[in-house]
Amino acid sequence: MNTVAAPTRSPLARFATRPWIWSFIGALAVWVATIVFTGGKGAGEILSVALTFSSFFVIVGVGQMFVITTGPGNVDLSIPANIALSGALAMILMDGSNGMILAGLVAAVLCGVAIGCFNYILIRTLQIPPIIATLSASFIIQSIAIAYGRGLKIKPPPLLTDLVQAHILSVPLLALFVLALSVGLAFVLNRTLYGRAVTAVGQNPRAAELAGISVGRTRFLTYVLSAALAGLCGAMLAAFSGGASLNMGEEYLLASIAVVVIGGSSVAGGDSNVPGIWGASLFMYLLVTMLNTFGVGAGVRLVATGVIIIAVITIAGGKSSGRG
Amino acid sequence: MTRISSLLTATAIGVVLLSGAALADTSGKKIALSNNYAGNSWRQAMLKSWDTVTKKAVADGVVAAADPFTTGENQATEQAAQIQNLILQGYDAIVINAASPTALNGAVKEACDAGIIVVSFDGVVNEPCAWRIAVDFKQMGAVQLDYLAEKIPAGGNLLEIRGLAGVFVDDEIHAGIEQGVAKHTQFKIAGSVHGDWTQEVAQKAVAGILPSLPEIAAVVTQGGDGYGAAEAFKAAGRPTPLIIMGNRQDELQWWKEQKDANGYETMSVSIAPGVSTLAFWVAQQILDGKEVPKDLVVPFLRIDQDTLEANLATTEKGGVANVEYSLEDAQKVIAGK
Repeated sequence: MNTVAAPTRSPLARFATRPWIWSFIGALAVWVATIVFTGGKGAGEILSVALTFSSFFVIVGVGQMFVITTGPGNVDLSIPANIALSGALAMILMDGSNGMILAGLVAAVLCGVAIGCFNYILIRTLQIPPIIATLSASFIIQSIAIAYGRGLKIKPPPLLTDLVQAHILSVPLLALFVLALSVGLAFVLNRTLYGRAVTAVGQNPRAAELAGISVGRTRFLTYVLSAALAGLCGAMLAAFSGGASLNMGEEYLLASIAVVVIGGSSVAGGDSNVPGIWGASLFMYLLVTMLNTFGVGAGVRLVATGVIIIAVITIAGGKSSGRG
Repeated sequence: MTRISSLLTATAIGVVLLSGAALADTSGKKIALSNNYAGNSWRQAMLKSWDTVTKKAVADGVVAAADPFTTGENQATEQAAQIQNLILQGYDAIVINAASPTALNGAVKEACDAGIIVVSFDGVVNEPCAWRIAVDFKQMGAVQLDYLAEKIPAGGNLLEIRGLAGVFVDDEIHAGIEQGVAKHTQFKIAGSVHGDWTQEVAQKAVAGILPSLPEIAAVVTQGGDGYGAAEAFKAAGRPTPLIIMGNRQDELQWWKEQKDANGYETMSVSIAPGVSTLAFWVAQQILDGKEVPKDLVVPFLRIDQDTLEANLATTEKGGVANVEYSLEDAQKVIAGK
């Protein structure tokens, strides 16, 4: 492929300069490759399943994206522990009763909010770098989850399970809900004072401070937002998979960061987008599905995953640096 | 013949031990458990069993102390440092569930050189001075195919759910399953995914590959993934195949519900987390001066249609079917029974 360096005016070409477009192209390519391999079998089902599971990545991915946007070194590593604790809390509170669904969901989000506050206290008051602070917070949270949940598998209320597994015209209801949520969060990022402040702080905290933005308050709200979303994800995930378990959040640590990067957001902060999180989440899920369908061995599968992710990031990253 | 005679020997040893004199020999000894991970239900049950059995052993004066230590990060370096601390703290024996079969060898050697008995189990270490209580994981894979050949003589397509890629246990169980497929050629592995021994991960991986698969007769597993597989089949609206379970409570619970509803039949196999207590007794026996071979094999815990209810009743919610081993069990294993 030739480099598309020249400034072009057609809408299609303008579209191609969006940093997130590459994750969607990647997802589409991987999906088509899978369909070709199966001879068209299960095309719709694969997409439907991918939408469902990507939704979980998107919920935590968007939160992680806000945190990463606030500048170098900002990252939330407490997400897996947060998912484990919030999921267990929601299931124990709901105790399988439909009437308690709302209360359980609110509790999971509030649990996330509390974790976010705790993270920020460590970062700000104790001056611990975010990586260390959120990692050590995650040890404490995971220990609470172990002591509190004891790996207890309480079944979610049937109504909630039906809701998260429901389909409207074979589109998962969960995906529609998360789509609405992400549209709302995209609005927050691009059109609200808080969202612009997040980007400004990420680009240059000193300049942002001088422009009258409270850097501390912006970062505080961002850590709380990320943790609240992870809490919501914990409750949803537990509802989807028939109960909370201690290690259900484990894979969301790296995945949450990967979808941010593959989605075309800058790891250094200050430049991010919500659509890319969707593209990257679909890409990540479809990639594993493709390699599983091809039946390649674990070693090849891991190497292929790594190589393809690097390829997508290089292409997408090359674009954004080209834009200056 | 040898079975009977070894049983008699074991019983004889047991009788001698229980008569009291030999027990006193270890009453002043301190045993430590060095554990690399505690973040799943199996490890939680393992620690709980250790606690139950060793507390009683300490109260009965069999040993002076049996303290469990768990590292936070499942890192070999961290566990090596922990073992060095245990050496300094003056334990007489260290029982290890290791993060790596090789990376702890240096620390284990240091412990041996300091005159400390090292017994590794589940996650074993290959340093020659240590004892190993290993699991025959290959056999755990092979018995699944033997069971299927008996249950579905006509054979069919299999979906294999593997564990965590790159881990020794995963390779071994997988090799056992391949061996079984080679033996029972009417079965064919139509698809394979990694479920990481976690229901949620297994559910996700199975849901992804299902649309591209032909009809599946059975699912072979490694434990901790059966319930997730069942959920994925249900969500895809496909008939539930025979899914081999791995002794987790949620898996057994699901099996029981299906059995009551439509007579669903399967089997379940895994290692009882109580193997930590077997390791404890083996360490105690070595301290007691008994001759113990360096390599021992743990029996695995298999649950069948008729033993399902009994096992489910004794399995804690969210836990794993478990057996706590006694001194006599340890002596049987040492005797090679």
